[in-house]
Amino acid sequence: MKPFDFIMPGSLSEAYTVWEELGPAARLLAGGTDLTVALRHGHLATDVVIDLKGIAELKPDIEDDAGWLRVSAGTTMTTLCRYLSERALLPALQEAARVVGSIQIRNRATLAGNVCNASPAADTVPVLAALGAEVEICGPEGTRRTLITAFIEGNRQIDLQRGEIVTAVLIPKPQGRHGCAFDRITRRRGVDLATANLCCNIDDKGAVLFGLGAVSPRPLVLTDESGVMGDPKANHEDRAKAIQVMAAKARPISDVRASADYRSAMLCIMADRACKTAHARRAGGMDA
Amino acid sequence: MPDTLKSLGGPGANSGATTLGSLKTMDLMVNGQPVTREVAAHISLLDFLRDDLKLKGAKECCAVGECGACTVLVDGEPVNACLLLAVEGQGKSIETIEGVSKGAQLSTVQHSFLKCGGVQCGFCIPGMVMSAEALHRAMPEAGEVQVREALSGNLCRCGGYNRMFDAMRDAAGQKVQCHTTAPITGATVGADISRLGGVERVNGSQEFLADLDIAGMAHLKLVTLDVGRAQIKRIDTSKAHAVPGVIDVVTAADLPQPVARFGPAYQDRPIIAVGETRYHGEPVAAVVAESKDIAAYAAGLVEVEHVALPAVTSIDAALAQGAPLVQPVELRPDDPLAGSNVLKELNFGWGDVDGAAADLVVEKTYTFPMVTHFAIEPHGFIVDAQEDRMKIWSPVQHPFLLQKIMAGLFDLPLGAVQVIAPDPGGGFGGKQMPKFEPLVAVVSRRIGRPVRLVLTLEETFQAVRRAGARIHVRSGFSKDGDLLFHDIQSDYLIGAYVDIAERVTTKGNYLACGPYRVPNARIRARPVLSHTTPSCAYRGFGTPQVNWAVEGQINEAARQLGIDGLEIRLRNVADKGQEIVRGEVPADGHWLQAVQRAADMLGWDTTKPAGRGRGIAVGIKAGATTGLSNAMVRLLADGSILVFAGTSDMGQGARTIFAQIAADALGAPYDRVSLIMGDTDVVPFDLQTSASRSTVFMGTAITRACEDIHAQVIELACDTLGIPETEIRIEGGVIVLPDRREPIFDFVQKSLGSWNGELIGNGRMRKPNVAEHPLGGSPAFFEFNCTAFEVEVDRDTGEVMIHKHVTVGDVGKALNPLHVEMQDEGAAIMGLGHSLYEQILMDDAGRIRNLGAIDYRIVTSKDMPVRLSTGMIENEDGPGPKGSKGVSEGAILCTAPALGAAVADAIGVVITDLPMTPERIWRAIQEQTLG
Ligand code: FES
Ligand code: FES
Repeated sequence: MKPFDFIMPGSLSEAYTVWEELGPAARLLAGGTDLTVALRHGHLATDVVIDLKGIAELKPDIEDDAGWLRVSAGTTMTTLCRYLSERALLPALQEAARVVGSIQIRNRATLAGNVCNASPAADTVPVLAALGAEVEICGPEGTRRTLITAFIEGNRQIDLQRGEIVTAVLIPKPQGRHGCAFDRITRRRGVDLATANLCCNIDDKGAVLFGLGAVSPRPLVLTDESGVMGDPKANHEDRAKAIQVMAAKARPISDVRASADYRSAMLCIMADRACKTAHARRAGGMDA
Repeated sequence: MPDTLKSLGGPGANSGATTLGSLKTMDLMVNGQPVTREVAAHISLLDFLRDDLKLKGAKECCAVGECGACTVLVDGEPVNACLLLAVEGQGKSIETIEGVSKGAQLSTVQHSFLKCGGVQCGFCIPGMVMSAEALHRAMPEAGEVQVREALSGNLCRCGGYNRMFDAMRDAAGQKVQCHTTAPITGATVGADISRLGGVERVNGSQEFLADLDIAGMAHLKLVTLDVGRAQIKRIDTSKAHAVPGVIDVVTAADLPQPVARFGPAYQDRPIIAVGETRYHGEPVAAVVAESKDIAAYAAGLVEVEHVALPAVTSIDAALAQGAPLVQPVELRPDDPLAGSNVLKELNFGWGDVDGAAADLVVEKTYTFPMVTHFAIEPHGFIVDAQEDRMKIWSPVQHPFLLQKIMAGLFDLPLGAVQVIAPDPGGGFGGKQMPKFEPLVAVVSRRIGRPVRLVLTLEETFQAVRRAGARIHVRSGFSKDGDLLFHDIQSDYLIGAYVDIAERVTTKGNYLACGPYRVPNARIRARPVLSHTTPSCAYRGFGTPQVNWAVEGQINEAARQLGIDGLEIRLRNVADKGQEIVRGEVPADGHWLQAVQRAADMLGWDTTKPAGRGRGIAVGIKAGATTGLSNAMVRLLADGSILVFAGTSDMGQGARTIFAQIAADALGAPYDRVSLIMGDTDVVPFDLQTSASRSTVFMGTAITRACEDIHAQVIELACDTLGIPETEIRIEGGVIVLPDRREPIFDFVQKSLGSWNGELIGNGRMRKPNVAEHPLGGSPAFFEFNCTAFEVEVDRDTGEVMIHKHVTVGDVGKALNPLHVEMQDEGAAIMGLGHSLYEQILMDDAGRIRNLGAIDYRIVTSKDMPVRLSTGMIENEDGPGPKGSKGVSEGAILCTAPALGAAVADAIGVVITDLPMTPERIWRAIQEQTLG
């Protein structure tokens, strides 16, 4: 691999300064589970790696504040899963975070990194997108927040300006009677990248929203305009039709993992399954 | 060149005189000890541990976080050391496998792994143990769900998962089937003796090739093109040469001309590509440097001007009119087929296929994908080549064949070429034949230093694979289900160079009709050259491909005739003594017992749970047809036993079996036997470690070497006790004297002192070549297997859930039942891989699209069947010691057709192309629904 220098700033302000100065000559490192591979394979090359793990403000931390969960950029998938499962919070996000790589990967990979890597197949992104999650970005110009759906601009492309650092992922906690579920399709049961994945979120008013992964270059959030999916007793044909309408908006591609038409078909299957689970969770009335 | 590159100077050729990148100082704790070191920022934690701290327990395989071989604990949590930069270790506490056992005292998990047979080649084990350890510490009572999850980031290609599940139950204090671990005397054969070399494998001290540090060693990196086939125009090595620490850059132009070619059967593979690359990844240059890091960096700076050429990568493309020739006509002089990509046209058969009248004719085409061995140990080589002698370290399955080929290539006497073969971290056929040893030797000679080349997993994918195949079969049956004929056309897609692929095609197709009584057969088989990685030997040799097709035919006939899959086999499978191939040795086992046992174990005649399907299939593979194995056994004065054998222990446990045989033959405790293997200067000639031959061939040679000692023990007794020879006998490992019986082990300790020495026995087993036989001789034994499944298929997604997977082999005699089970499960799990997930995918330019561990899926702990069980038929009717037969390939022969039958039974769709991915099954269901 091409050698590079390594900087580990201790504070955010120190981090912006070097990051702004170096610009494209540097890369930010959080968990490193994607970056290291890309550097080793030469998909990416860099002169400097800026490790964010020394930054006090980004240390692993999850805050539950005013209806939002604030997951700091240093928080790993393992920590996130543990936090959510201990509090029985956001089961869909748990489901997604729990299938990111192996235990070894989840002990390193961060939620913010999963978002910033902007892989169309990222598992947590459809859930975050469906929940209306945002990223908190700090930079020399101050702090801004942006919806994840806007932040991820395309395959491996994010809206991060020179000098800016994602400091946290902010997730609104669904209120009232709601249900949310995640589903994915893989080539095997063991650790695998998603062939396609999806999250279904039903809010307190019964509106149904789907977050779709791996079927378009950027996260796709689709609303069920028909209203059929919000009715747990809707008949099979109507549901199938509503899902078809929605699936038609996805733009899956064929690649080494699957063909486009398999992905489209699986989208429908997952939508149906996740929607049923979401309804069940909603009916359960728990904070799910 | 980046300005971070600097030369530090300093003495010593191998002291890392030159380092790439800017150094950082870091402090960390490693296994409880404080460590302060300087390390370059781009160095992984794994390389730091292995190369700087010399903690070589953690292994590198995939380097992308998929295999877990590099797992260590950072602040108590398992992580992939290949994905961390060493500098991220600053201030952390790292625990490696070396820190797990306290001296010789193994941890609970390590002990259970050994006891329950979790350890085969051992390459995955240090990483696996770290994951298991982390789980056990956090949750000592973890159940199977947690265990499957915890181990799912660690790949074991030997397929030890089932035994590991047992091990974790054992560690949790639950009762598992009890295995003997204590060395016992007199009756180790037939007992579950734990693995010799097992302790080293669980505590991380076993030295694999990549763990060796040879003084003065330089590091080689291959330069390859990202194109299937190309004409090389010009190679500019100047930028690479300019990197400090680079010693030499070698291209074909630097080699003696013409560049030598080599191969086990055809001398067609150039040491390095000359003028044209013929497959994706064929090296065009090699950079040798002071460190592997510098070599890898500089290799990326070699500029190769080239023109992409059309590549043929499928059977149709290779056979098409006007297809580019993979091998130039000059390479195949006197070969009438040289103007085509067909290497050979092989014809076998008997009876009259065209004249056979059948009630039912089934005609179908089946395909089998190219798959790769994916041994967790990537291939590696070290060569110290001098003008007049050469020393080669290679985890090769056939050290003596490598010696012969290298001596020939470099014009050295055999005695001047020493091959040291460290135990392979999984071979599966991929490590049989020389690959890059000649190139490494050339470079070593040029620079006058030992040179090391360890491939990445991606490069390993480009170095070895199994032949893909397309098989068209017409089969005839009577209405009662009697098999009347098979008419088989097999095309095997082999690579750009032949390696051993012609024999793979021959051996597989010679037995294409399987273990059946078939009155009429016609088999036409062609190995077809293509611009792909040279296909080589692979567990099962050429049988899994053709058996997928032929067993598919039997299943199809059963469905069409309304006969049960078990019944049609009981009706047609040959039983002991019945002829299978006309004129060949007949069935050598009670195969129908195995079929019935498999059916019983699955519960074939029980009511099928709703939504499930069942399938069954059989297969046979020809064991070794020729061979020569020599063994030497030395019985020392204190009863210690040294066994010298040229076999490679690549996970099959040869060492253990040999020690058992010698211990029992000499009445000694198992732990007094040491095995000396893998050094051609020391061990006597053995032809090869292949075709599941070692128990039979080397086992017999060792038995005979012990018999040679028996004769000397009698002489010793006559001499020292003054008793006539006629009054002394040897029974088992015991000397029977007129007044007493005594284990030889005890007897020699008392008596041998007066002879001032030791007893040396030699033994050999030879099976001569029979020139007129299509295989060079009749198989020494057949490996027969029957596999059965019970599955459920998700009609929406095409996913298969395996509830039961049963495999039964006809093993003759299980010298070590636990080892037989491990081998059998390993083969079965590998079979699941090509049945369900594995395939090398090529793009139109002839490049492999799924190089490496991320998009080439093999079986993980979470993909294991809910229940996998092994049965064995033991009638002591094999040619090996105690009537044993080879056992390590049977369970891979018929995995796919049995699974295919179960899927068809569950959902009514018949799949003829492997692997049966969810998408493929889903597609078949869609077609079925559409009618
Ligand atoms: S996971 Fe690190 S080498 Fe494979
Ligand atoms: S023992 Fe696991 S790979 Fe060989």
